[in-house]
Amino acid sequence: MSMESILTKGLMTVKLTGELRTGFCTECGTQTAKEYYMDGERRRVRMTCPKCGGMGRLIVKTYSVQAPEPPKCFKAKCLWKFFFRVLYTTWLANYHTERVKYAQKNRGKNMPSKYRTGEDSPQTTWGCMKAVAKLKHL
Amino acid sequence: MAQNEVWTDTGIAELILLLREEPATGMESIVCLEMATACTAAVGSTFADPADTATHHTDSGLLIAAIDTVAGDTTNTAGDTILFDHVFTASATKNVAGIHVCNNDDDVTFIECCFNAVLAMENTDTLTIDGSSTIDQA
Repeated sequence: MSMESILTKGLMTVKLTGELRTGFCTECGTQTAKEYYMDGERRRVRMTCPKCGGMGRLIVKTYSVQAPEPPKCFKAKCLWKFFFRVLYTTWLANYHTERVKYAQKNRGKNMPSKYRTGEDSPQTTWGCMKAVAKLKHL
Repeated sequence: MAQNEVWTDTGIAELILLLREEPATGMESIVCLEMATACTAAVGSTFADPADTATHHTDSGLLIAAIDTVAGDTTNTAGDTILFDHVFTASATKNVAGIHVCNNDDDVTFIECCFNAVLAMENTDTLTIDGSSTIDQA
């Protein structure tokens, strides 16, 4: 692979989330409808209740896990750091996959909100491994 | 399978056509991908041939439609990012494995995204897509 092709890798990045909700307001049970709103200067869209402004119940939110930046030097310290970041990213992606599956399988049940929102995800590789094992046995 | 998203080769070619002021159109449509298992986004995917064995949904509120909002933004340098929002409302029970972001002519896919896991949508469920893409100088 030439140096040029390495430098241009990842030039165009994409980040995306998908938020799956029920179509009925959690507050009053009315079917939600598309609403355009202003977020600063940006026009955005969401599903809200036309009566009370509530939203449907969150089933699950998906996330993209971005690949780590390549190492900036060839010292062992840099390469080890990169290796551990790759390991963490792989297990974090695995965690989000298991989380999304679990949240959907139990869409009507109560569960810690972190499984539905994806927030407060594990911060270490070991934490991801434990969380994945737990989700598989819940 | 980790959620993954890519700019497709045909999407980049369409972008280059726009820069050359050749006949081409911008980012304007979005469609859900149908597949029973999780797919893997690939740069070689095209509008007619999405990743793996995925196909475009053609009904039930998940078919190709104009993107609700598209806006410009800044991540690293002024105007280097495009943001898009869209809400799909399912009118039947359907699996959604990912999405395609397409051009105005509905013949070129710019971005392909495959979710963390297949989303099992039920009638009236809503799926809110929040995406961004940056062309990075780094």
